[in-house]
Amino acid sequence: MNHAIISCLHANLPAVEAVLNDIDRQGIHTITCLGDLVGYGPQPNEVVELIRKRGIATCQGCWDEDIIDGLNACECSYPSQLAERRGHLAHQWTDDQLTGENKSFLASLPTSLRRDRLLFVHGSPNSQHEYLLPDMDAFAALERVETAGADILFCGHTHQPYVRELRDGSIHVRLQNADHDCGQGEELTLPMRKIVNAGSVGEPRHGSTNATYVIHNDATDEVEIKEVAYDVARTCHAIVEAGLPKVFAWRLSHGFEFAEQAEDSSHVCER
Amino acid sequence: MSQTLLISGSPGCGKTSWILKTMLSHPGACGYLRLDGHSDIGLEQASNSGIDQAFLKDQIPQLLDLSETQHASRSQQGDLLALIELPQFHSPQHADLAGIDPRIKNQLEALQLHPDRHLHFGRDHELPSKDKLEFQKLESLNLSLYRSVWDPPSLNTFWFELVNGAYGDVYRAKALMNLPDGRSMFFNWIVSQESSQFLPLQEISDPTGRPASLSELVVQGEHLDCLRIQSTIDLCLLNDAVLETHQMPLRDQQKEAIPSS
Repeated sequence: MNHAIISCLHANLPAVEAVLNDIDRQGIHTITCLGDLVGYGPQPNEVVELIRKRGIATCQGCWDEDIIDGLNACECSYPSQLAERRGHLAHQWTDDQLTGENKSFLASLPTSLRRDRLLFVHGSPNSQHEYLLPDMDAFAALERVETAGADILFCGHTHQPYVRELRDGSIHVRLQNADHDCGQGEELTLPMRKIVNAGSVGEPRHGSTNATYVIHNDATDEVEIKEVAYDVARTCHAIVEAGLPKVFAWRLSHGFEFAEQAEDSSHVCER
Repeated sequence: MSQTLLISGSPGCGKTSWILKTMLSHPGACGYLRLDGHSDIGLEQASNSGIDQAFLKDQIPQLLDLSETQHASRSQQGDLLALIELPQFHSPQHADLAGIDPRIKNQLEALQLHPDRHLHFGRDHELPSKDKLEFQKLESLNLSLYRSVWDPPSLNTFWFELVNGAYGDVYRAKALMNLPDGRSMFFNWIVSQESSQFLPLQEISDPTGRPASLSELVVQGEHLDCLRIQSTIDLCLLNDAVLETHQMPLRDQQKEAIPSS
């Protein structure tokens, strides 16, 4: 059976509506959302209410967490002073706009969802703030999936959709201390694991303005990355109307993320 | 034998680059002057920011400033190559010296400068002609960034947004920008070229506080949103406390690098 995975909606209602319509047209009834319902975009309440109304299973993203817990990212989690100040501005605006009821909903979200051998998270099983980039070290990637006890890990956060198969994984363990070697050790051979990144519905960062999401068939394990065009101009108009920085609209209309991506995206903020 | 040339052309046609190349290949002394051009209908000249002068002086430290009359009077002596840069939108109606605008002639006479030739980009074949830009309408923005120091990655983002149209249709942008490590960078961009030119100046300040050297941004284009340009710059500039956090480790490194006697 096919099911859809969406992520990183970022308060972009036209993009969310377009993606949900695309999913509906295919007769897919199971949708999982990997968080970041809000942040930067102009329609945080509308997006949260649509997800609530549709009863879409959702885990909490880093923006959802920060809106509830307050700004907690350390300075170094932003790639520049400009990005940091824009991020803080967007945070304050979103905080002012969101209703108490919608904040309670975001606060109630789990950090992960599990269905059998499928695990759904925003960033990584370790943190909503950790980026699992497509080119991260294979051992580290395998470790994230294996220790979470999943065959397939669905994540978002990077805004770049990808499917990564981790084949022929093995871990060799041998204990040794200064006095003696404790034998040959043990070789653990791991079956293939998969990381599937759903990209972003509301803030694409894959070189196009199209929203992205993923369809997975849980019988065949086939994964399809889908791109959906939406009315970007409508979102840009709403950004300006809302009083958010015009440059957010300009960046979105050119397929750039609202604030630039960190050079060291693997960095995890240590609070 | 001395030579004085008046070099004119539209913004971004390559006047300063050609002048630098020509001076570097000249074995004798060189002098430079940049004149304010005159605006035309719908075409606003950028005011003389001093960026070109500062950049050339950095590249050729012994460069003579022809706005100082004692240097200008030397232009008739020895082997001095005196190059006078003039921003001018349209090609002169007459060839060579006869085509010089009377207002410019007056300025030159006041400085005792007497060009031997007047060369115009796009008209005279001695000059390269890769950029034949014809502007119909042009607004100009000059922003002083004196004693301002940029957060380097923010500067990178700002420049990217600026030249890609986030703040209006930019056809030409150049700047001298200070970085916290004491370097000053020359930024240069023209719409007809694919990428920007980024050149560090040779002179580097001590990483202590705010440098007093010239720092300025010049933008030319249409529908420029000057307020948003300024507000974005404000988000990119370092305050004293943050600047000190950048500079303190650099000073410590410098101390460690000095061998004890």
